Amino acid sequence: MGFNRRALLTGQFSKNGIKATIRSSAISDRHVLVCLFQRGAADALNAIVPYADSNYLSHRPTIAIPPPGEFNGALDLDGFFGMNPNLGGFHSLYQQGHLAVVNACGIPHGSGSHFDAQVLVERAASSKAGDTSGWLGRHFAMQHQITPPNSSFHLVALSGNVPVSLYGAEEPLAMANIAEFGLDQGIIDSGYTDVLDKLFKPELPLHDTAQTALNALDELQIANPSQFSIDNNATYPNSELGNKMRQVAQLIKSDLPVETVCVDSENWDHHESIATYLPQSLSDLDNAVSAFYQDMGSRMDQVTVLIHTEFGRRVKENASAGVDHGTGSVAYLLGNGINGGQVIGAWPGLAQSNLEQGEDLAITTDLRSVFAEVLTKRMGATDLTEVLPGFEGSLDLGALI
Amino acid sequence: MDERALNGILQSLDRRTFIRLSGKGIGFAAVANHLSACGGSSDGENNTNTPVDQEQTPTTDALPVPSQAYLMLSRTSFGVTHDDLALVEQMGIDAYLDQQLDPGSMDTSALENEIAVRFPLTQSSAAELYNGFPDNIGEVAQQMVAATQYRQLFSKRQLYELMVEFWSNHFNIHLLNGLGPTLKPVDDKNVIRPHALGNFRDLLHTSAKSPAMLFYLDNFYNQAEAPNENYARELLELHTLGVDGGYSELDIKQVARCFTGWSLTFPGQDEPFGEYRYYDFLHDKDAKQVLGLSIAAGGAEEDGEQVLDYLATHPSTAQFISTKLCRYFISDTPSDTLINAVASRFMETDGDIKSVLRTLFTSAEFLESYDLKFSTPSQYLGRLIRSLNTSNAFPSDQGLLFYYAQYLLGQLPFNWATPDGYPQSTSYWSNTGSLLNRWRFSFLSFANQISAFQVFTINWAHLIGGANTTSELVTALESRLLCRTMAEEDRQTIMDWLLTTLNTTEDGQLNDDIINAIVPAIAAVMASSVYFQMR
Repeated sequence: MGFNRRALLTGQFSKNGIKATIRSSAISDRHVLVCLFQRGAADALNAIVPYADSNYLSHRPTIAIPPPGEFNGALDLDGFFGMNPNLGGFHSLYQQGHLAVVNACGIPHGSGSHFDAQVLVERAASSKAGDTSGWLGRHFAMQHQITPPNSSFHLVALSGNVPVSLYGAEEPLAMANIAEFGLDQGIIDSGYTDVLDKLFKPELPLHDTAQTALNALDELQIANPSQFSIDNNATYPNSELGNKMRQVAQLIKSDLPVETVCVDSENWDHHESIATYLPQSLSDLDNAVSAFYQDMGSRMDQVTVLIHTEFGRRVKENASAGVDHGTGSVAYLLGNGINGGQVIGAWPGLAQSNLEQGEDLAITTDLRSVFAEVLTKRMGATDLTEVLPGFEGSLDLGALI
Repeated sequence: MDERALNGILQSLDRRTFIRLSGKGIGFAAVANHLSACGGSSDGENNTNTPVDQEQTPTTDALPVPSQAYLMLSRTSFGVTHDDLALVEQMGIDAYLDQQLDPGSMDTSALENEIAVRFPLTQSSAAELYNGFPDNIGEVAQQMVAATQYRQLFSKRQLYELMVEFWSNHFNIHLLNGLGPTLKPVDDKNVIRPHALGNFRDLLHTSAKSPAMLFYLDNFYNQAEAPNENYARELLELHTLGVDGGYSELDIKQVARCFTGWSLTFPGQDEPFGEYRYYDFLHDKDAKQVLGLSIAAGGAEEDGEQVLDYLATHPSTAQFISTKLCRYFISDTPSDTLINAVASRFMETDGDIKSVLRTLFTSAEFLESYDLKFSTPSQYLGRLIRSLNTSNAFPSDQGLLFYYAQYLLGQLPFNWATPDGYPQSTSYWSNTGSLLNRWRFSFLSFANQISAFQVFTINWAHLIGGANTTSELVTALESRLLCRTMAEEDRQTIMDWLLTTLNTTEDGQLNDDIINAIVPAIAAVMASSVYFQMR
């Protein structure tokens, strides 16, 4: 553990002391990355619709999204691509220049397994050889050597578990729900937490975890993120993701020195009836992230949202009106410092001869290029050799200002 | 039934229409919503060739070594209890293991009768469950969870129930997925439970024909014209060979073709709903090549059966299952030597699960593996309840409160959404959020402030014996609750806290009011400690 709860408490003693320490490294002088993982392999072609590619319709005769202007048609982006009509909020942000699409994107890990591919993408690795830490974990392990953490809230997963992308960093905080993360004052006053602090000794396996939890309790008492209401008349959807994005906003509005928050979005594995289920998943994503953008207001100057998945889906539909596992997919970047309003990346095309293995959307932009740009332009990284080892692709797609 | 009729049914069957209906008037939608958040994220523990993560296996040299009986019980049960420990110390760990590997030798008829009366939906057929669907979704889910918890808490067949949990996750089916509430109870009764300590090949075949599995992984849709690969992929990756087991994307496509036509009976047909059916007109009749297996043209249902036989005894399957078992029962990072020994036993016995477990539990590595695993929520909750409920009485309610306890801790049975099942690794469960949840839960439950624990009476007098000084109280709970000796330093930490709070001395006599107030607090601290969380 880079910082010690007891030292923090005894050194600063008063709650004001802790607050001063936290303030010194708060939002004003740092950027926050919100990393949203679409788990289950989100489809590319029905989200960012290549309506002008003459092969699109023939690959997906019953499930294709109609071109702009037709009933339930795509929302035009650039005369070639359109957004799924359920991404209305994203479309507005795109038009305002606050959202960029990175198309035909992914990491060429070659895995068609959700579980393996999620791990590989979170490690930013194209094969299983090598380091098992995550791309954000490696970055923060280096950053925190230079600037040691002084809070439990630098890296937060709004989840019951720590995602692989944060592996390698010192004890990220996992909490499924901020409001439920805590102990009653009566329990703390009984001396219970002080006894636990002593029982979870430095040489024990759960020491770091316990210290992070105990420190987080102290910090939460002061910062109380749940007190922050929704601003700018934003309306979050009443869904798991909506609830989580609302909490991300509360964390950023509080004085806690959050640097990265990881959030998961579920339900993207559409092997069947994609026309029924994809709209639900896209609407939920669109509503939750758009509400977050609105709620944050000018704070979005210091926030970047990165959205990605583990791989895309098959170009051709199957007999159950769904699509099986594929290769290339889509990533999104949102914020006020985005070179938005553009679809980044070469389009590989959907003609049979252009398909990866004869059936998948090929990857033309490595997702690690997106990671690299976020790390250098937003997270203060200067040298990526240890964060993205062996990666030789572009380090700057021009997606961020 | 002809092709046209079946296609009509398939097209009209909008799976999640049922999910949407499930919210109506049941009050279960919020839980279902919330639960969907549990799925999806993976820590890669299904990989066989890579470490689970970069964390080192924790060392617990700082804790005094517990007894071998404690170790055996902590791994083969849902929580060490004082009474069980006395029993195992008396009979010896070898005899105890023999007994646990012979579940038929232990009578559980009283428990099963109780479950049949309290949770009758767990005994129903798919057709009966479909009759009440979707209004019965909430009730089915609650009864399935409660029945599972009752068996975990009260059955003498503890190792058997752990293996039921293991296979329920290995062949995971999300209960709340579409028609799942009408099909999973039958899968639990006919697939998982009968074969949990049987033969892997039998288990695999029954699972492949289980209507719940055929529905959950979309094989009921799988047809020659344009196969659905969902089941084929997970069969290879999660059920048998493992992701590094040496198959290709092409193999997945070939396997999918072999299972075309494997489906079930649907509502609107003449036959009862929810039975396995093979529809020959949907089957791909061409020749197939799956890994090392050639399947001739013109085959039918036996194409898939041949694939299952081939996979059930494949060395990669033996390796994959053995690795998972070693991680489940020993540590996140078992040695290759041990995995190979267990896998060899799997191959020698054609997948005899009891033989495989015997090799695992009699290994030197197992006998030295104390305190390496962080309890999963079901094991933590099990230990808490089993050690408090000293009379082993059934709860006074219908199990609903345990249901919410388990939900709060994050491991409600049958509610992991993706096919990989709940993780079992220490690196997944031992994080800040889960530790804090358990601290809160320990404190509130021992202080009897959580309603879940008002469904039975905690007999504190039994737990503390005649102790009436702080020193005696700590010693009594160390023995009755932790079932092992604490380090002197840790004991002193608790003593210092008590002596300061109570303003007394180690040998000062305490009155009953003080004892009643302080005993739950001591118990809460102990249950929050590493001694109780690790196993």
